[in-house]
Amino acid sequence: MWSAKYPDLGTNPLPTEPYISEEHFAIERERVFRRSWLQVGRVDEIPHAGDYFVRDIAICSASILVIRGSDGVVRGFHNVCSHRSNRLVADERGSCGGALFCRLHNWGYSDTGELVAVPNEENFFGLDRRDHGLTPVVTDIWKGFIFVHLAPDPAETLRDYLGGVADRLDGCPFHEMKLSQVYRVEERANWKVVLDAQNEVYHLPYQHRSTLGKSFARDATGNCFFKEVILYDYHSFWSCDYHPFQNLTPVRLALFSGGDTAGAPRVPNMIGDLDHYQLFPNGILSLFKVGRWMGCITYMLWPVAVDRTVWEIRMHFSAPANRRERLQQEFFKCFIRDTLQEDTLAHESIHAGIASRVRSHLILQDDELPIRHFHKVLADYAGYGRCA
Amino acid sequence: MSEPLLPDAFGELAPFADWALEPERARTEKRVAASMDEIRAFYDAMILRIDDILAYLDSDFGDDMPAEARRLYLMSLSLVEIATLVEFYKGREAVDACDPLRYVSQF
Repeated sequence: MWSAKYPDLGTNPLPTEPYISEEHFAIERERVFRRSWLQVGRVDEIPHAGDYFVRDIAICSASILVIRGSDGVVRGFHNVCSHRSNRLVADERGSCGGALFCRLHNWGYSDTGELVAVPNEENFFGLDRRDHGLTPVVTDIWKGFIFVHLAPDPAETLRDYLGGVADRLDGCPFHEMKLSQVYRVEERANWKVVLDAQNEVYHLPYQHRSTLGKSFARDATGNCFFKEVILYDYHSFWSCDYHPFQNLTPVRLALFSGGDTAGAPRVPNMIGDLDHYQLFPNGILSLFKVGRWMGCITYMLWPVAVDRTVWEIRMHFSAPANRRERLQQEFFKCFIRDTLQEDTLAHESIHAGIASRVRSHLILQDDELPIRHFHKVLADYAGYGRCA
Repeated sequence: MSEPLLPDAFGELAPFADWALEPERARTEKRVAASMDEIRAFYDAMILRIDDILAYLDSDFGDDMPAEARRLYLMSLSLVEIATLVEFYKGREAVDACDPLRYVSQF
């Protein structure tokens, strides 16, 4: 019984109101998303000086520019021109040759954020360029994952916030993995509905009956179960093993036959075949053992409105040794993608059901404990009861 | 004489060369536009030769893969793209899933 391991969480049903209430959404904006470390991308997305990407954090009306400077340092800035607040960079990712220029009046900024060019500068009134560089956002990096924090002075460092998760993943060779695909899907669901599905394996043999459902270890009753659950102050961890008899379809058999797993890059400390970390509030990091290579999927959930979420799915793979391994990775990617498209349907179906207000509470079983933990952390963090 | 569409050893797959697509989004669009009969015909033709294809694709092409080999490689990626439909959904519509085109891939 996981609940016996964490008795403080209790066994009560969860209220559905936080999934559909504008008041809760507003509180989550101010007290959670404006006050948390948020993962925005990988350093391997911007390998060279001047490379940048833009991350919209819609719930906070923020657009963040993450750029590698000519000094090699990765920095985050608000994507806002210091002159009249125009959105500085319009594209999602790119590379600038040392400087970025606002399209409105051609104010120029170095790749380290200094204001370096102002047309007709003498026509301003004592303008000192040194006071008007890009507005920085607190940015830190852990294992190549770039995090930002929208508060000017975060209460805790990124390392302290990650806590035991960073300890567990200390030896994980993330630097060997490269971002291979990103899917973005707009869902008509509250972000917590999307997250809940990542915090339990109860649904696998049912919702994913056609696809992934038979891939994971099941008990005598045919149900999936956790191999381990570890709950941290903010985050949570669970793991599962694969079913010993995988569904060896012709394509899978051909791609993986003679699959030599000797010398496979392995992540130290992995507990199961799938190790799944939820990083409070809106991130997931999932490590899979597959073949000779290493796969990691990260999910980022970006709330847009109380009933709308952008779900971003990011696949990271170690370098394939040959085209067979590249095709193995493509198979893994497409199979997971197709399975997640079943989740998208379920998220929207669940949200619609909750929004009908037929049921005031959700009932959770023991193997849904990480859901319970997340909502407890969120309620404590957001202090819903302390509505201003 | 015009260039061969596919490597000589795989000439019989030429009718399916319109599955040689990139990037991933183009393969997904092809999958969505194709009928299940078309998908199955492509699958059946490719799966018969899959071991030969995999062996061929890992031969040493030097720095530049010839166009006909690259076409075969892209067709293999399309085989993987449609594998779930044939092998898991077994030809049924993916009734349990959302419209695949809603997943916007970046690369």
